Amino acid sequence: MPKIKYRFLPYLYVLPSMLILMIIIIYPLCFSLYYSFQHWNLQTSPFPGGFVGFANYINVFKDQTFIQSFVNTFKLSFPIVIIEFVLGLGIALLFNEKLKGGNLFRALLIMPITIAPMVTGFLFRYLFYKNGLISYILSLIGIQIPNEGILGNAITAFLAIAFTDIWQWTPFFAIILFAGLQSIPIQLNEAAEIDGASFSQILWYISLPHMKFVILFTAMIRFAITFNLFDIIKAETMGGPGTATRTLSYNLYYEGLVNYNIGYSFAIAWIMIFTIIIIVNVFIKFTFKPEEL
Amino acid sequence: MKKRSLFIQFLLYVLLVIVMLFFIGPIVWFFMLSIRPALTNRTIPPTVIFKPTFEYFYYCFINPGVSLKYLISSLIVSFGSSLLSLPFSILSSYAISRFEFKGKNFITLFYLSLFFGPPVAYLIPYFLIVSRIGLAGTYLSMILIYQTFTIPFSILIMKGFFDEVPVEIEEAAMIDGTDRLGALIRVVIPISLPGIIVSSLFAFVFSWNNAVFPLVLSGYTTKPLPIGTFNFFATTGVAWNNIAVTSVITMLPPMIIFMVLGKYIVRGLTFGAIK
Repeated sequence: MPKIKYRFLPYLYVLPSMLILMIIIIYPLCFSLYYSFQHWNLQTSPFPGGFVGFANYINVFKDQTFIQSFVNTFKLSFPIVIIEFVLGLGIALLFNEKLKGGNLFRALLIMPITIAPMVTGFLFRYLFYKNGLISYILSLIGIQIPNEGILGNAITAFLAIAFTDIWQWTPFFAIILFAGLQSIPIQLNEAAEIDGASFSQILWYISLPHMKFVILFTAMIRFAITFNLFDIIKAETMGGPGTATRTLSYNLYYEGLVNYNIGYSFAIAWIMIFTIIIIVNVFIKFTFKPEEL
Repeated sequence: MKKRSLFIQFLLYVLLVIVMLFFIGPIVWFFMLSIRPALTNRTIPPTVIFKPTFEYFYYCFINPGVSLKYLISSLIVSFGSSLLSLPFSILSSYAISRFEFKGKNFITLFYLSLFFGPPVAYLIPYFLIVSRIGLAGTYLSMILIYQTFTIPFSILIMKGFFDEVPVEIEEAAMIDGTDRLGALIRVVIPISLPGIIVSSLFAFVFSWNNAVFPLVLSGYTTKPLPIGTFNFFATTGVAWNNIAVTSVITMLPPMIIFMVLGKYIVRGLTFGAIK
């Protein structure tokens, strides 16, 4: 499409949305950067208590709970995205078999995605309850459940959170990858079949390379969202038992809005922001060629 | 594609049914919780057959209607935020679709990057600022911060729709004596109305489902549904049936909207990057 060159008009059109985003995001972020170098605890005083240099940042790294939430976040986000991708690809391939009634199943599969993550948290808190459905099913197949319940045990609660996220977002991959499979020219597959290519060869040499951009983009969105995981934790385990299932976001929320340790929480926020910027940039550098973006 | 043998087809069907049970089963079980008598909540083995009751629905949404005010809050905040984003995103999206200008790529990347940021990180300073100017607990405070995702989302989605409007139609309108803004309002917006509606519906769902911002920003009278649901986790006991009823009402509008959106879902879920 021919694009028209104007000098000022485009900026005039973009200005209102940039302005409002500056006010609601950029200003609060600058505010938090400024006060991350101050001591400010709302429990002791409503006002900031003066500059302390990098003390907040240093204290963050000395804090065992922070380290734990940092490790938890990585232990959750990387495996979750990989598992969701593998399962989603499997389901997409299953749909691609064009079974009768497949369309109906496909329409239904969207349902987990549509649920508010907070509500998903409530749903699985119910399912993982001591006498809940999942505990019952597990006991039927002979899997021992901890006495304190699935959500009461540090290890199983962690797995339960991962399970919940995988349940909700695997359909996301499945639906997008199915659309990706559909966009591959059918002649390509047929030609490969005539040449005697096997199912796995077609998948590896035709389908996956063809969907490279789709896969990487989807994985990147999903990674960013699981990295910031908060809702499910809040509704399902409240970061517990103890601090076992705290993620970076939950820990940040807890320090800032439960302990009211404002300056300290701002330091956590900026460490989080830097971490995600680094990861996304590394991801882009190693996976996309510049001309693809 | 090759025809698979009958046995393989049968196996694939079994697999499909297992997949469906896994993903839809929990939702069905939760819907059942909303209409099951509380006595059957936690039996071992779980009670599958029971006489459905609507008393929890009646209690939550009719008399005394404890969840009704949450529903109203949810509606106000979601409608408000998707409507507020429209003028901003239409203008911006149109500019990105039609014009070449310095910094365009940077601006597009800025919008996209907003989806990767941790919401809690800007929620806390935002909350402090909003409290300072006396807006804490208001609908406005929530509607404004929802713009951090409704505006960039709508811009990216609408761009795809504006790209599809032939530029000649606009030029014809401009020859007929209207200026660019006039052409946008009288020609481009009506033609791309379906796209604008699609993007507003997505913006509505994202606002409706957001629970991080209102958890902190909403006041006693302005809690939306997911936040109000926390009230049923009392120290005296968890009112699971009421939680389920309120959650089901929270789940329904997005489910219906997603069913309607059909072919636009992939586009919406990937911020317009994949069509």
